[in-house]
Amino acid sequence: MRNDYKIILDLIPENSKVLDIGCSDGDLISLLADKNISAQGVEINQEKVISCLGRGLDVIHGDINLIVEDFPYNQFDYCILTQTIQAVQKPDVLLNTLKKVSKNIIVGFNNSGRLSKVMQFLLSGSFDSLLKKSDSDQWYNTDYIHPCSIKDFKKLSLDLNFKIISTYDVINTAQFTDGKIPSNLFCKEVLFHLKNVQ
Amino acid sequence: MRKITNNTDYPGFLLSCEESLLLDSGKSINKFQIAYQTYGELNSNKDNAILICHALTGDQFPAEESPITKKNGWWDLMVGPNKPIDTNKYFVICSNVLGGCVGTTGPNDINPETSKIYGLDFPTITIRDMVKVQKILIDELEIAKLRSVIGGSMGAMQVLQWAATFPEFVKSIVCIAGSLKHSAQNIAFDEAGRQSIMLDPKWNQGRYLEFDQKPENGLSVARMIAHITYLSEKAFQNKFGRNLQEKKDLSFGFGIDFQVESYLRYQGRSFVDRFDANSYLYMTRAMDYFDVSEEIKNNQKRIIENEIRFLVLSFTSDWLFPTKESREIVSLLNSIGSNVSFAEVVSDRGHDSFLLDEPKFFRVCEGFLKGIK
Repeated sequence: MRNDYKIILDLIPENSKVLDIGCSDGDLISLLADKNISAQGVEINQEKVISCLGRGLDVIHGDINLIVEDFPYNQFDYCILTQTIQAVQKPDVLLNTLKKVSKNIIVGFNNSGRLSKVMQFLLSGSFDSLLKKSDSDQWYNTDYIHPCSIKDFKKLSLDLNFKIISTYDVINTAQFTDGKIPSNLFCKEVLFHLKNVQ
Repeated sequence: MRKITNNTDYPGFLLSCEESLLLDSGKSINKFQIAYQTYGELNSNKDNAILICHALTGDQFPAEESPITKKNGWWDLMVGPNKPIDTNKYFVICSNVLGGCVGTTGPNDINPETSKIYGLDFPTITIRDMVKVQKILIDELEIAKLRSVIGGSMGAMQVLQWAATFPEFVKSIVCIAGSLKHSAQNIAFDEAGRQSIMLDPKWNQGRYLEFDQKPENGLSVARMIAHITYLSEKAFQNKFGRNLQEKKDLSFGFGIDFQVESYLRYQGRSFVDRFDANSYLYMTRAMDYFDVSEEIKNNQKRIIENEIRFLVLSFTSDWLFPTKESREIVSLLNSIGSNVSFAEVVSDRGHDSFLLDEPKFFRVCEGFLKGIK
């Protein structure tokens, strides 16, 4: 099982109501369902939606920015974005909207500010290394239009008045609390647990 | 008094009701019957029943060979043993809608008050009236909760109506190529079809059966207009292009030159054999009047409490019930906090895609139903 999924499964209590944004083939939704957590997915890729629905999972086909507007206030206990935030047109706008529909927000992404990435960029002189999601991606056709570092995301979270409940170094499944965050230079993949405190 | 018997006119069963049914119009019918067919077996818990709601020109025979057309039933690809709606697992019920012409009470039945054929004396009916009648059938079959209510097009209207009016009686809803309300364009097409029927001199103010004739030309043109809306520009192009019908040159006349003309005329002609003109008027009117948005909002609490799962599906090339309208359904269902899934299936075959061989569409329906416990 993916490390970020393990962390999320531990983090979310049973009987919660969850929205998984960019749910892909629905692996996480299915794992959550096994734990008695009702999860609904949103996915823009038609093939992936068909595959989720074929597995009997709940998923809505479409653009999250439009769909999320429809949900009632505090409809969900948790909103999850794993490897999705980099592909969103306006991460700040989406996070602000999600505040209204979910009490907690979990955001997982690859830290583009880590030393190895930065070195790769310096040595190659090419943005491909920063913007790649898969091997076929180039800077001009990638879905990863907003690569960010741990520092970047922490700043955005605070600017948007979220409380950072905890952060995780996903590869080492290590939890950080009390304002501490994984190393911006060395952590490859990070998970933020945010709460709306307004 | 209600009584179930074998249907003597068609395969399947007949539920005869001697009671007054108050309709949305404020009028009542005092005696009515519901013709229905079933497939598969109802289990001992009575929790494997699925109700299929047919579209405008459908009937109660989605599966197996249709006794009407002698061809495969209209949803034979979807319903049957080991098919997406698997009759080895589910008890499938399909009834002819109120106002229909395949055994359920409609404008061509005898009005018990006058002992004459109803004709236009038949009260105007709504989608809700159709669903109320289906609910009577479900009660008589002693099914407390349907595993699912499934339908496309006019059937999709009925399934949304089920969720709005009888949320306690359904576990899930599959709404295919539907809308919350009939659009102005769709009402316009319906009106063109109705005018075509009513302007046929043989229609005789709806009393054609008394004169032993039928408004065949009018009904046929109505079907031709409607059939265009069921396909897509691409479907027509792929199927016919500008190919000529059994000739090499244009005739410079108004006979059949193009294959597409021949096809449309055939669609019109063959429809007349199996469908009734007055039923067509009543059913298109019911669709025009359909607007379930407020009722869904008003019944939010009941819908949420019963944890109904919704599956909404649309097809990319459907311009009669376009994806935009399915998205409006999803948007409304999300706004009331209900549990909804949605997919837009890629198909270039227009509105009729839901009746055709679309493997991804089948996979989605099958998967969704398996997830309903």
